Amino acid sequence: MRQSYRIIPIYTADVSGVCSALYELGGMTVMHDPSGCNSTYNTHDEIRWYDQDSLIFISGLTEIDAILGNDRKFIDDIEHAARELHPKFIALAGSPIPFMNGTDFPAIARVIEVETGIPAFPVPTNGMHDYVYGAGIALEEIAKRFVEVPDSKKDGSSRSVNLLGVTPLDFGPQENVELLKANLEQYGWKVVSTWAMGDELETLQRSAEADVNLVVSAVGLRAAKVLREKFGMPYVVGTPNQWMVEEISNALDKAGVRQPEQPTVYLQNRMQQDADITLIGEPVTMGSLAAGIEKKYGCAVRVLCPLKECEALLGGKDKVLLGEEAMEEALKDAKIIVADPLYRPICPKNSSFYELPHVAFSGRIYIR
Amino acid sequence: MIRIAVYGKGGIGKSTTVSNVAAALAETGLKVMQIGCDPKADSTILLRHGEAVPAVLDLYNEKKQALQLEDMIRIGYNGVICVEAGGPTPGLGCAGRGIITALEKLKELGAYDVYKPDVVIYDVLGDVVCGGFSMPMRNGYADKVFIITSGENMAIHAAANIAMAVDNFKNRGYAELGGFILNRRNVPREEEKVEELAEDFRTSVIGTLSHSEQVPLSEEQKKTLMECYPDSAMAGEYRTLANQMYAICREDV
Repeated sequence: MRQSYRIIPIYTADVSGVCSALYELGGMTVMHDPSGCNSTYNTHDEIRWYDQDSLIFISGLTEIDAILGNDRKFIDDIEHAARELHPKFIALAGSPIPFMNGTDFPAIARVIEVETGIPAFPVPTNGMHDYVYGAGIALEEIAKRFVEVPDSKKDGSSRSVNLLGVTPLDFGPQENVELLKANLEQYGWKVVSTWAMGDELETLQRSAEADVNLVVSAVGLRAAKVLREKFGMPYVVGTPNQWMVEEISNALDKAGVRQPEQPTVYLQNRMQQDADITLIGEPVTMGSLAAGIEKKYGCAVRVLCPLKECEALLGGKDKVLLGEEAMEEALKDAKIIVADPLYRPICPKNSSFYELPHVAFSGRIYIR
Repeated sequence: MIRIAVYGKGGIGKSTTVSNVAAALAETGLKVMQIGCDPKADSTILLRHGEAVPAVLDLYNEKKQALQLEDMIRIGYNGVICVEAGGPTPGLGCAGRGIITALEKLKELGAYDVYKPDVVIYDVLGDVVCGGFSMPMRNGYADKVFIITSGENMAIHAAANIAMAVDNFKNRGYAELGGFILNRRNVPREEEKVEELAEDFRTSVIGTLSHSEQVPLSEEQKKTLMECYPDSAMAGEYRTLANQMYAICREDV
């Protein structure tokens, strides 16, 4: 099956994913690229660009810098900016040109860290993955490098949670995130940190104080695994939408005692018959929505996932489909479809289509 | 204009041979341009008596759009026009892409139109390890590729790889294989092995160079053998080789 795109766009790429994940943390994110990666990012992928400041930079890599491997120029530019702006960290994101050149980002980050005293780390993107990977590895780095061992013993009576994998690419504006948090708070959960919208780096650094982690999108899974390994923190996977929050709350309670073998809450107790409704998109948010619809309306739902490395987050009826042709083929018999509006042209004419905009797919087009 | 690319294993004597061939061709009244395609930028050093030619890529890095053709051209022994593509510091950047950019810059700034050489020789680093190193054999650059080898197995292996690359590109309108040049190291069955290699690629050994003590002696003096020992037997061998290469290229003109 050809993985070409004639009608629908492709999803936001890994480099934008990194920028999106780190946008609010007070660090400096530098894309090492001539310019294409930043214009795509700020024009389409970043809905906060005009309302909220962040230190997102492009290196302005030139042909001759790439050929001669003028790493020093890259380093000097970053250090110059860092001395003026005092970022909390410096993240270096690669693009296709340095990828082909074999630019040694870990070594460059090390030089910058030694010379500026500011924590610096590479985020190994190359512009050829999707945002789930890019944002995922960016949050993974934050988990590895910045989360601190909690000062005091946890208060036994509290029920606290971190939300992992929260970016506007999957959740849109902040008010949507506040809804998720409110849903959990209704069930008595205290949200310690949200990775990474609405919270500062210092808040994320205290994440290990929480009882449990909740992975609300595929983006958060890598960080959850790091925190489990580093601090023994259990995790549960699912988006606490209004229909699923009860199940998720129960799963979080159980996880607080022991890491569940099957952490994906939305894949449990699902309907077995063929799906009446098809959802397209990110596996955790769509999977949780699918489970919620099944619970409330009694109609079987499946998820078609167009993103890579998401198989483990999908159920038996669900499928990873890469490329427009594969997606169009899979939608042939679909009667009811819920997806980003840009999917509509490849859906069967006689299907009922419900619009659910996804920033990682249609950018800011449907953001009001 | 005749355009030649010379390839072969590193250390086999490409630059020495090319410089002497360039000097021999220049002797006959031809205007010769030698372009070193190696980040080391030392292909033309013997024609320049040890004086380095500023590399195209270094100049481009320094001057950007203000780069002028004259900046990168130096005249060497017998009037040979010397150019060095140059490249990154070892371990950084992309040498292959550097060759492409350097040759494009030369063309863009009119090197061939302004200097109007009769013969252009590209002296290319070692093996065809990536796309950039095939640049001198691409359409619009060399018309013939000559591969220098000794009878040593490693040199033959490298020569076969290069010949294979030329063969793979035959549908692309790239340069054709002009033949192999045997630079003797006096190993057993040397001629026989290189003849076999040529047969495998349906071509021939178009010239043979003896192992001569005068070659390193000339290098000690930072000169070509053609300049140091113009009446030697070895100089005669270079002249014969130069004439043969020229004749093979003329056949297609």
